Amino acid sequence: MNEEIILKVENLQTKFRVGKRIVHAVNDVSFELKKGTMLGIVGESGCGKSVTAHSIMKLLPKNGSITGGKVKYYDNNGKAHILNEYDRNSKELRTIRGKEISMIFQDPLASLDPVYTIGSQISENLREHENISKKEAFDRVVSMLFELGFSNPEERYYDYPHNFSGGMKQRVMIAIAMICNPNILIADEPTTALDVTIQAQILTLMSKMQKTHGTSTILITHNMGIVAETCDEVAVIYMGRIVEFGNLEQIFNTPMHPYTKALLKSVPVLSSGGEKRLEYIPGATPDGSEVIKGCAFADRCKHTMEICRTKQPVESIVDGSHRVLCWLYDKGGKNA
Amino acid sequence: MFKYYITRFAMLIPKLMVISIIVFIGIQMIPGDPVTRTISPEVYAHLSPVQLNELRQELGLNDSMVVQYLRWLSGLLRGDFGYSLVTGGKISGIIASRLPATFELAFVSLIFATILGLLFGFISAIKKNTIIDYTNTVLGMIGISVPPFFFGLLAILLFSIYLRWFPTGGRMGYGHVTFFARLKYLVLPAFILGISLIATLMKFTRGSMLDVLSKEYIKVARSKGLSEIKVNLKHGFRNALIPIMVVLVMRIPMLVGGTVIIETVFNYPGMGSLMVSSISGSDMPVVMIGTFIMTSSVLLASFFVDVFAAIIDPRIRFGTDAGGGNGK
Repeated sequence: MNEEIILKVENLQTKFRVGKRIVHAVNDVSFELKKGTMLGIVGESGCGKSVTAHSIMKLLPKNGSITGGKVKYYDNNGKAHILNEYDRNSKELRTIRGKEISMIFQDPLASLDPVYTIGSQISENLREHENISKKEAFDRVVSMLFELGFSNPEERYYDYPHNFSGGMKQRVMIAIAMICNPNILIADEPTTALDVTIQAQILTLMSKMQKTHGTSTILITHNMGIVAETCDEVAVIYMGRIVEFGNLEQIFNTPMHPYTKALLKSVPVLSSGGEKRLEYIPGATPDGSEVIKGCAFADRCKHTMEICRTKQPVESIVDGSHRVLCWLYDKGGKNA
Repeated sequence: MFKYYITRFAMLIPKLMVISIIVFIGIQMIPGDPVTRTISPEVYAHLSPVQLNELRQELGLNDSMVVQYLRWLSGLLRGDFGYSLVTGGKISGIIASRLPATFELAFVSLIFATILGLLFGFISAIKKNTIIDYTNTVLGMIGISVPPFFFGLLAILLFSIYLRWFPTGGRMGYGHVTFFARLKYLVLPAFILGISLIATLMKFTRGSMLDVLSKEYIKVARSKGLSEIKVNLKHGFRNALIPIMVVLVMRIPMLVGGTVIIETVFNYPGMGSLMVSSISGSDMPVVMIGTFIMTSSVLLASFFVDVFAAIIDPRIRFGTDAGGGNGK
């Protein structure tokens, strides 16, 4: 596997101002994306997955801001861009957005502008970043649509979003994201809004695109099943912190963090036995506006110890790239 | 798309029919001898009761209401509006001299107010919660709540009497034939007439823009690396316009209605001041026909706004329900 790093997120912190309260959406997120691989970011709703993705692109709403950490992106020439230092809508950032890092959003039904043809919305991205003629742009869009499985792309070019179904809209979104051949694709729960039969189709398509174009991808999802099928590496996120990071085998074969274990057990599996009941994680994710002294998962954890409630756990390296944020595995811990 | 326009246009016909029936009934209820409304009063004065009765028979005034209505309607379509009770002149002649003036005033005011309203609303939205936004909101509130005649008097006092920039009223001076020569007479009334429309449009544009700017596709547009101007105008404003068109359609009658007051304040010889003088002179036929024409022009204006709305929103144009199918 190619070990070259393309995106490095270090101790990212993102906060939102909601009225007088400050919501700590992302507290301390660090991960690396290796070139040509697919990284899955998994967690429950409200744990800061999407905010992490939006922070990378600096597409946060106006009341949100990055308050700490670094997002480093290495472009084709090996030059490092510290994305969080660029201004929200600065020229530097805009040349990277869409062209080098692009994004697919959660809700394909709301992601397309209803008043423009899908062709013009795809070529808009292309013509923003590449100096090409209308005709060339048209050809590129048509061949992209064809690659994404539209049987009559020349006609579909001139259709409006309301002529498309949800799955087709998401394919159009993939086209928008992929048309400039980006180095990084961030997919923020790309299948959540789609029905199950379409989900598989979109995921297969995304993996295929990722393999043929060699795009490094960050896949954000709450579904461990999707991660198992598509990703190379996995980051499990809880309350704005990465609690466990490792490659697919490490996470699925030897999950360490109680939260990861619980997540894995909560995936429905079709079996003939029908004996096993689906497990759920008791309690709900805490409110992000409260500052929690110890481990944020302590209240819902089966293995809570004294120290969990008083001190924030430190990261323990289990094995190579496999790291976990839990007192259970602390070198000085008792229950190791 | 063509079919949509045809349908929209065809829908005007029943609406106009209903208005004409109301106006016809109104005319029937006017006290006095209906003969006076179909012949010139000078001729009427020289007729004996027997002749009058013959004339009544001849004019069909003894026919059933339905027949009379249809005859009146066909006259209306040919431009025969009957006679004024006060001057005895043909109503068509009176209207012909007044209608272009009001059309000019309302049209200039509409264009002007639309542009300003959209512009201020747009600025307010993208500069949300800044001093510019607050200023616009306060000015808009004043614009909506203060009655236009008050602004009119204030404007005459300031711009015409103290500053002497514009004439106090009227439509044209001697020899002012071209539109541009008349423009200085139009500035104040058109602006004052448009104030409440500017304020309303500004408020709605701001709201509509903010609503659109929170949409997912705006984030997608930003994620493509588009500049803020492109995001706000191409994806934001264009979508924000769709609901604003509806507001505009609903405000056009108020604009036309507003001419009644503004034309009186500025002594502007249009349909509005004609209506006021006709009402005070109890010249009911003129009032009824005037109402009919103003209502029809409101309908026609709404039709054009509908056409424009279809141009900016493909979903209206193709008459499809959202989602599914590949109808063209």
